[in-house]
Amino acid sequence: MWAVARAVGLSPTDAADAVQGAWLRLVEHYDRIRDPDRLGAWLVTTTRHEAIRLSKRAGAERPSELPDLLDPTEPDPSAVVVDAEYGRAAWARLDALKEPCRSLLRLFALNPDIRYSHVSTHLNMPMGSIGPTRARCEKHLRALLEESE
Amino acid sequence: MTSSSDETSPAEPRPWPKGDGEEITYLLAAMRLAAGSDPVPGRVDADARAVFDLRLPGSITATPVDVVAAAGVRSGAEPQLHRFTTDELTVDVEMSISDGRLEVAGQVSPAPEPDAWVEVRTPHISKVRVPSPDGHFAATGLPPGWVSVVYHRPEQAPVATRWLRVRA
Repeated sequence: MWAVARAVGLSPTDAADAVQGAWLRLVEHYDRIRDPDRLGAWLVTTTRHEAIRLSKRAGAERPSELPDLLDPTEPDPSAVVVDAEYGRAAWARLDALKEPCRSLLRLFALNPDIRYSHVSTHLNMPMGSIGPTRARCEKHLRALLEESE
Repeated sequence: MTSSSDETSPAEPRPWPKGDGEEITYLLAAMRLAAGSDPVPGRVDADARAVFDLRLPGSITATPVDVVAAAGVRSGAEPQLHRFTTDELTVDVEMSISDGRLEVAGQVSPAPEPDAWVEVRTPHISKVRVPSPDGHFAATGLPPGWVSVVYHRPEQAPVATRWLRVRA
């Protein structure tokens, strides 16, 4: 849950709130949980929804946007992807990437709160290209992982 | 009931989150998990455990409705106004942060019965208030974060607002 909240880009304080928020949604729905086997997936999905909601907030809550998820029927991609085993596979394939992808992903993976300005200095990249480059590099790494599956 | 959790068999391509790769970096999240580079703070687990004491079996959830005045509120220094309703009652809540502490003022309507009481809850601290005859109540000095108001009435199920997060 923590990793999912952080993946949305939240600060530690906000990520902690998102995780706690997901547990509170569980408490709200406690009487109505019908499928305990899916609780883990439900919590991950709800964490992601809370995290996205908190990341969009600008000072005020919009309570009408609170998620009301009892039985998510679609498997949450984040529940599948965010696990350490997959992360280890990603680390193992990192060397197959060219630069700047290798250094860029390594930097972001080891420094969750790194600022783009630091990345820019460290890798000598323009700030504006960091986000798109990172997305492209992640896509490459995902493709490598899919090949090796 | 059927579960859809096993629809993703190992033989199928994984359902990568498409289109949101730049904002939601699950790949990096998995790499951080593997590297232990973003450990879960201890208080996150402690907070999760604390939450289970907040269960209210049999309670009625008051759902939020948009309050027009709240729509334009964007500064953390100004109060947030929220209205929660059930079929039979309304709970209006105004929340603000003052000197780093959460202040809650509100009103239940229709006017409360004499033995009714209100509980302003955060995950770690709750305060009990007896509403005034016209339903007003207030609590101060609470930690910012998640908050819910529970309205207890004699011989009736408690009514709890959905949890809201309030920070400066």
